[in-house]
Amino acid sequence: MNWLRRHRVSLLVLLGMAAIWQVLSMIFTAEAVPGEPMVPGWQIVFSRTLLSLADYWQGGLGVPSVASGAERSYPAALLSIVSHSLDTMVRLYTGLLIGGIVGTALGLAVSWSRWTRRLVDLPVQFLRTLPLLAMVPLFQLWFGIDFLGKVIFVAYGVGVIFVAGVVNAVKNVPQIYIDNARMLGASRRRVYTTVILPSIFPELRATILLSLGIGWAAVLGAEYLGAQSGLGYIIIYSEQFAYLDRMFLVALIFILYASVSYWLFARLSAKMLQWMPRAGRITALG
Amino acid sequence: MQKDVIVATEISREFHRADRQLVQALARVSFAVERGQFVCIVGPSGCGKSTLLQLIAGLLLPSGGTMAVNGAPVTGPGSDRGMVFQKDSVFPWLRVIRNVEYGLKCRGVDKAERQRIASLYLERVGLSHVAWAWPRELSGGMLKRVAVATVFANGADVLLLDEPFGAVDYVTKRLLHDVLLTLWSEAESGARRTVVFVTHDVDEALILADRILVMNGGRLVDDLAVEAPRPRTTDSLLKAEMVRHKHVLLTHLGLETRAPAAAGPALRVAP
Repeated sequence: MNWLRRHRVSLLVLLGMAAIWQVLSMIFTAEAVPGEPMVPGWQIVFSRTLLSLADYWQGGLGVPSVASGAERSYPAALLSIVSHSLDTMVRLYTGLLIGGIVGTALGLAVSWSRWTRRLVDLPVQFLRTLPLLAMVPLFQLWFGIDFLGKVIFVAYGVGVIFVAGVVNAVKNVPQIYIDNARMLGASRRRVYTTVILPSIFPELRATILLSLGIGWAAVLGAEYLGAQSGLGYIIIYSEQFAYLDRMFLVALIFILYASVSYWLFARLSAKMLQWMPRAGRITALG
Repeated sequence: MQKDVIVATEISREFHRADRQLVQALARVSFAVERGQFVCIVGPSGCGKSTLLQLIAGLLLPSGGTMAVNGAPVTGPGSDRGMVFQKDSVFPWLRVIRNVEYGLKCRGVDKAERQRIASLYLERVGLSHVAWAWPRELSGGMLKRVAVATVFANGADVLLLDEPFGAVDYVTKRLLHDVLLTLWSEAESGARRTVVFVTHDVDEALILADRILVMNGGRLVDDLAVEAPRPRTTDSLLKAEMVRHKHVLLTHLGLETRAPAAAGPALRVAP
């Protein structure tokens, strides 16, 4: 009840937005193709549209697929959402993890020594300037249209952001902490693990949030071309038949996932940053 | 064991300013510090005293001359020297006791032992009750005590303090002097540690030091032995020897003319 009271205003805004959408669907009744409204109302989205996602269920778990002659059913539709979401998320988070780790390592390498800076700095600057989405077809051809190609693409998109974020954050680490650690006997490696990493984390939060957004865009971009599963595949398939309502529903699902991942990250980072003065802490989205 | 712990020979240090002009921060400075001595370096701001301390620390390397600590030339920072900085150096992301343990952990001391040592020094600086607090929960004076406990716990036998109590209020500063002097004089192994303490506060130097090195314009200009008995109080500062020293120091700092009794203003404000 307390929660409801605290978020009263936000909830009302959300409901208002849903209501406006509904009104718009009644005003603009134009159709993309016969039977497919440009602005699908909620009564369509949560019945016909939801049910139609059953088309993308491959069968199994005792729920037969539409392709094998079964009727569309809600269990099939839900299983379809879950399985395609899982495919997308595994690609996304594998890519995020690899991109985050490699990007951080390269970013740290820029400050590690003169030699590693010369080695890493220029190629990374070069890679950064390549437009991400224009690279989708190239990555498809280089790394294939299966799992590896998509993961490498996401990792690349996220990695370049991490390098830039880490390089900047390292520049802002107060020299006094590094000097203090060295005077207390810390090796360079230990300075990086116990001083640089914890002190860049607050600044890196912005980079991580940004990379979550870019990560979603990248995985969809990768799925637009040649994927046989995933939420991006559903969108591009729907687009070919002008199924606007399905595209809209998938977009809603994205919003849900993105919100949950931002919220989880905010919770996690608040826990990791309990050492910070309150002013510098992020307020949880929840 | 040699008598002299720190030996600086003809130390020079130049810096390039942003406009590419070469600035001579230190010019041919030579001195030696005996083991167990409490030395204060006093001088006006910009005289090179902090640079000198950083050269002993190994955070800077000399442009000319040699700096040796414990018989070996200084090539970089090391845990044989401990440093308390002017600004806050306590790691905010570690709890207080983890800060005090930091150096011990770097040197591979096992967990139980480093916790024992850290607790001991936290107790000696009067901070046992905040061992598990975050640094953000501590006052400026308490953070200084954490920094002092950290370098003492790390076991360095040469302690370098760079205007450590410059930013704390008078009362806190006096309490911190007591903490520092107690730790210095109660060396557990019997041998006192060597302390080099940079300050521009003349009274602070007179209360703390066995010996005061005076710097000006990148050179050593005086070397005073302070023989007043310890513990010293504000009353000690009124003794004839201390007053004499104070006049000398203030003269070097440009606040007094060479002969205070002579005609003319006793206090000359530097332009």
